[in-house]
Amino acid sequence: MDFLDWVRGPLLAVALLVFVLGVAWRLWVLWRLPASTQPQAPARQPFGTADALSASLGRMLPHRGFHPSATLVTINPYVFHIGLALVFFGYAPHIAFIQRLTGLSWPALPDMVMYLAAAATMVSLLLAIVFRLSDPVLRKISRADDHITWTLTLLPLITGMGVVGEPSSALLAHASPVYRDPLAIHLLSLELLLVWFPFGKLMHAFLVLPNRMQLARFLGRRGVRT
Amino acid sequence: MIDMAVFKQFQEAIRHLGEMAQPEALSDEQRLARAKAVMHDKTDRALALDLESCVNCGYCSEACHFYQSTQDPKYTPTRKLDLLRRVHMRETSAFAPLRRLYTKDITVDELREWQELVYDSCTECGRCSMACPMGINIARGVNVMREALSQAGLVPLELMAVAQEQAGRGTVFGVGPKELTGCVQALRAQGLTVPLDEAQADVMLVTTVIDVLLFQDALAATARILNHLGVKWTLRSAGFEAANFGLLSGNEALQKAASKRLVDEALAIGARTLILPECGHAYPALRWEGRLADGSPLPFEVLAASEFVGREIQAGRLQLQAGDGSAKLTYHDACKLARHGGVIDEPRAALHALGADFRESTPTAELNWCCGGGAGAFLINRAAPLRHKAWEIKREQIDATGADTVVLSCASCRLNFMEAAEIDQWPTRIASLVELVAEQLPAKP
Repeated sequence: MDFLDWVRGPLLAVALLVFVLGVAWRLWVLWRLPASTQPQAPARQPFGTADALSASLGRMLPHRGFHPSATLVTINPYVFHIGLALVFFGYAPHIAFIQRLTGLSWPALPDMVMYLAAAATMVSLLLAIVFRLSDPVLRKISRADDHITWTLTLLPLITGMGVVGEPSSALLAHASPVYRDPLAIHLLSLELLLVWFPFGKLMHAFLVLPNRMQLARFLGRRGVRT
Repeated sequence: MIDMAVFKQFQEAIRHLGEMAQPEALSDEQRLARAKAVMHDKTDRALALDLESCVNCGYCSEACHFYQSTQDPKYTPTRKLDLLRRVHMRETSAFAPLRRLYTKDITVDELREWQELVYDSCTECGRCSMACPMGINIARGVNVMREALSQAGLVPLELMAVAQEQAGRGTVFGVGPKELTGCVQALRAQGLTVPLDEAQADVMLVTTVIDVLLFQDALAATARILNHLGVKWTLRSAGFEAANFGLLSGNEALQKAASKRLVDEALAIGARTLILPECGHAYPALRWEGRLADGSPLPFEVLAASEFVGREIQAGRLQLQAGDGSAKLTYHDACKLARHGGVIDEPRAALHALGADFRESTPTAELNWCCGGGAGAFLINRAAPLRHKAWEIKREQIDATGADTVVLSCASCRLNFMEAAEIDQWPTRIASLVELVAEQLPAKP
């Protein structure tokens, strides 16, 4: 059993376990906290779950009235999130990896799109840390979580560069991985990210929708457009 | 007409307000324990979700008039929840035992430091929540921080003094039933019909200390409109004060008691509608948070004066003599009415009915800039310079419309506008919505 076998065997299982149990525990503890059961004042307008969901999805767009220009600070988070999603879900070897774990698969995007997306994602991450270190507001509010999360998000992207020496079709054609150690390091960086996920702000991936929906409900039933 | 001598007296009274406060003697340990007890008690699922969702993007600072006017990052809205967040992370979050290893507990010195952040430099205007990509209700968290500081005896002395007066004597700035009666008699002397303490009425009108002392024209205007509409209404001397210093200072028991006085009177006379004066925070305090003693919703409707007037105009029950269009008006949406209350379309219906050249400011409605004086900030003397810095954004926003009159439907905003205008020698006319409407009531046939 070499390094790669360890990383994609027991270590991957541990990382996935920590990720799944950690996320579930964090959500469960939140859910367990008391919630107001008092009947609310009559709403100004009906505002149901579908309205809250719609308002929450609408918040993905820059809010009218803020971000008056298409500044780098406004665009950068979009580049990062879209780029990361493309790389993770669109790259053929990643889909093969997910298929091996879950049995699910879908068509891959062309390699060139992936290379561009990965480059854009890395540049956006580098810009993000420049902003975080140089902007007075971000410097003031940053915590260790921000820097750990940034580092652990960048690592899989950097280590991934060590295993893209060939087109994805060629990589997948090999009976077994050709870049065993670089691939092990790449997977290990992903596992670190998975292990950290429940403990830090990466959890926003799960919290964003319920939190936006609770604000949308709070304001929506008062007749305030969010 | 506003009696500027009374305005000066009012300003002078505020300058000495803190001297009236009677702070409770508490040790640092007691302060800390009390504050943390409130934080625990108030950390429900909704607040915990808010506290855990922040990704530290800093977008909220773009929306905050205190940060924008000073560029001081300590005013970043999400940072104002840091103590609350730390207590939650250390004690009630999923990985609390782990968090305690590397998250410092809060200290009483930090509570003292946070007093400026949650009282002086936050009007709970809620604009930050509009910009937040995670949809965090920062104003609610700030209000919980105010409750924690209030219990710890760390409220600014001015707010403490008024809250103690309202809790103890039931008056605000010395205005009680006797002063209300005097005000009513003065209005009656002008020939106005002002019912007081009627045993039964469809509508209960509530007023506020500022209107009784200073903006009597606003009270008179609302009375004229109600009389014009032929409504059976009354004021009640046992429950007339809309200002709720429980809400502003962070004293939940007082907030409930102040609301209860109004609710009890409305129930006693069988009112179907309670109309609040032009007072911003009174609206969410009663319309959205008001409850019966058993926690059930109020059995009568609660309307802001501007909402009532606009609604009557929208329904065609109230027609105005249209102006000649020469007056250039803009409107300042009070945060608690618009962004926190949804009173947005009705005041505009009234403004359009005035037949003036109405100009929206940019931004407007839900995104309008706060004037900087809300949520009790106007009473905090040490906050005056900061408040004025924040006001400058408001002034530029109004000036950009080219309007010669800014119309308000919140007396607290109006006070802040008046004080700032006095300092800046700002020439724009500051007008009350109900007063403008009353001026254009048609003569009864």
